[in-house]
Amino acid sequence: MIASMRRVIAQPWLYSFVGAALVWIAAVTYTGGYGAGGMLSAGIALAAFSVIVGTAQMFVITLGPGNVDLSLPANMGLASAVAMKVMGGCDALVLVGLVAAIASGTTIGIANYLLIRLLRIPPIIATLSASFVVQSIGISYGRGLQVKPPPGFATATTVQIAGVSVMAVVVVVFSVGIGLLLHRTTFGRSVAAIGQNARAARLANIPVERIRALTYALGGALGGLCGALLAGYFQGSSLDIGNEYLLTSIAVVVIGGTSVAGGRANVTGLWGASLFLVMLLTMLNTYGVSAGVRLLVTGLVIIAVIVTAGGPRIAR
Amino acid sequence: MRRVIYALLATTAVALASGPARADTKDMRIAFSNNYAGNSWRQAMLKSYGAVADKAVQDKIIGAADVFTTSDKEVPTQAAQLQNLILQGYNAIVINAASPEALNGAVKQACDAGIVVVSFDGIVTEPCAYRIRVDYRALAAKAMDYLATKLPKGGNLLEIRGVAGTSIDDDFHNGTLDGLKKYPQFKVVNSVEGDWDETTAQKAVSTVLPSLPEIVGVVDQGGDGYGAAQAFQNGGRKQPIIIMGNRQDELAWWVQQKKANGYETWSASSAPGVSTMAFWVAQQVLDGRKDIPHDLVDPYLAFTQDTVDAALPKIPVGGVATIEYSQDDAKKIIDDNMKK
Repeated sequence: MIASMRRVIAQPWLYSFVGAALVWIAAVTYTGGYGAGGMLSAGIALAAFSVIVGTAQMFVITLGPGNVDLSLPANMGLASAVAMKVMGGCDALVLVGLVAAIASGTTIGIANYLLIRLLRIPPIIATLSASFVVQSIGISYGRGLQVKPPPGFATATTVQIAGVSVMAVVVVVFSVGIGLLLHRTTFGRSVAAIGQNARAARLANIPVERIRALTYALGGALGGLCGALLAGYFQGSSLDIGNEYLLTSIAVVVIGGTSVAGGRANVTGLWGASLFLVMLLTMLNTYGVSAGVRLLVTGLVIIAVIVTAGGPRIAR
Repeated sequence: MRRVIYALLATTAVALASGPARADTKDMRIAFSNNYAGNSWRQAMLKSYGAVADKAVQDKIIGAADVFTTSDKEVPTQAAQLQNLILQGYNAIVINAASPEALNGAVKQACDAGIVVVSFDGIVTEPCAYRIRVDYRALAAKAMDYLATKLPKGGNLLEIRGVAGTSIDDDFHNGTLDGLKKYPQFKVVNSVEGDWDETTAQKAVSTVLPSLPEIVGVVDQGGDGYGAAQAFQNGGRKQPIIIMGNRQDELAWWVQQKKANGYETWSASSAPGVSTMAFWVAQQVLDGRKDIPHDLVDPYLAFTQDTVDAALPKIPVGGVATIEYSQDDAKKIIDDNMKK
């Protein structure tokens, strides 16, 4: 009993959930208990998006040192435009639109990999420069217009049952699937193996390059999917829709207990970290602090979490 | 006596403005330096500019009007672009600047090379340049006037701020504060950052709404009204009077609510077509006019309960309401500014 409790306490993801709960309590205390349920309900709905983008980033980061996808925000912006244009406000075309958004994201993921592999550009530079290209494509494709989602799709992404966002529940199921993919399949284990030691993985006959290509493609696909869902939730595509997810995607991965150095991924932690960041935003907004203070606190908290939670694992 | 002198001055100004052209601008070239094109406002700005400037070239009013857009809102890129435009020998540069101060060096170089620089929207503080601003402070104060007439009893307001640190955000905020002083029956119970973006605004309002008492009005800066409306709807709240900002989705939502339940509000914003105002100012200065003040105020574009229905169909879906100025419109605004 004590041993199993100790094991739970040793889990890095636990802290993010505890943190989220504490921040929520702090916000609720400020309002004297008013709006507690509403905050939680809005927080869960918003956290779902960070989880999807975070999952994309988690796979890429787990590939090992230097691997990161900075093109996700641009990818999401383009995918939101692609999805809304393909759907054209018509509920019958929702699936086609989603497939188009995922295809757009996958293409960007593969392009990222090709830049890294064929031109031997470090991922951080390859994906950043790819994001400029994607942004330009987005501008000429979308012309900066906000295209509205079909009513059915908008409802599907926003509807709540007893205060719980239905989409968030679907994303929880998705996370379980991702957990299985990561821990129970050859692909998932290969990703972790490459992250731990690429050379050892190669010697163990893991098709390293194929797995890397698949991982970047998967990351791109998830980014595309998230872009389309965001356009549904926020009632319209926008090239800037993914902007804030550049830092968020990396922060939720790190705060959630995934190793920045690669090789160790944590799906549960993504939820804790996403809830934590959304609740932090809720709390600061409730306190009515200025934008400057909000950014400052968010930055300091992320640094603090990385230092305390990530410290020993990086040193190892 | 003083009033008479002012009147005389104004008449002289009008006479001067409507007098014959003093220099020929038909061989002169105007460049447009822009630093971002990724949202509906900027797209409308470019479209209006293109329409008016191309027509001016066709009508042989001006020799060439080329548009140069860098994509990343970065100061160094735009500074380098300005250097290029100076070397290419343009007679005037119309600029939407990435920073009010950081481009002053490059702008000064252009002025020293005898180039007329006209900034708008993103203005530059370098004194040699012209600045075309919208009086956002007056706009925000006017929004408070509107709320006071609709809600004489007052109540709780939610404020949505724009991009922190910009002069535009400060102006709006100060205008709101002016209004609060004038109408003490209103109280701003919270203030969130919406960045003039519907997604950011919706997210910010969603997170803060559960903790707020009943809200009767939302004072914002445009581009954020529709997101606020969505947040109120998703949160199961009664829609307050949300001040709108001339985006098509904001006005479309307003018209739809108006039909459904008689919803009333007011909408105002700067028109992206202010780019065409900047174009004509540049042309007028090239034309030899020395009397134009370096700081010009461009009137904002507003829609009311009565004008919104007619205006909506003219705005492209997902776009923003705009007006394109003719040369005469621009001259009139310049004159109005000189009367002040």
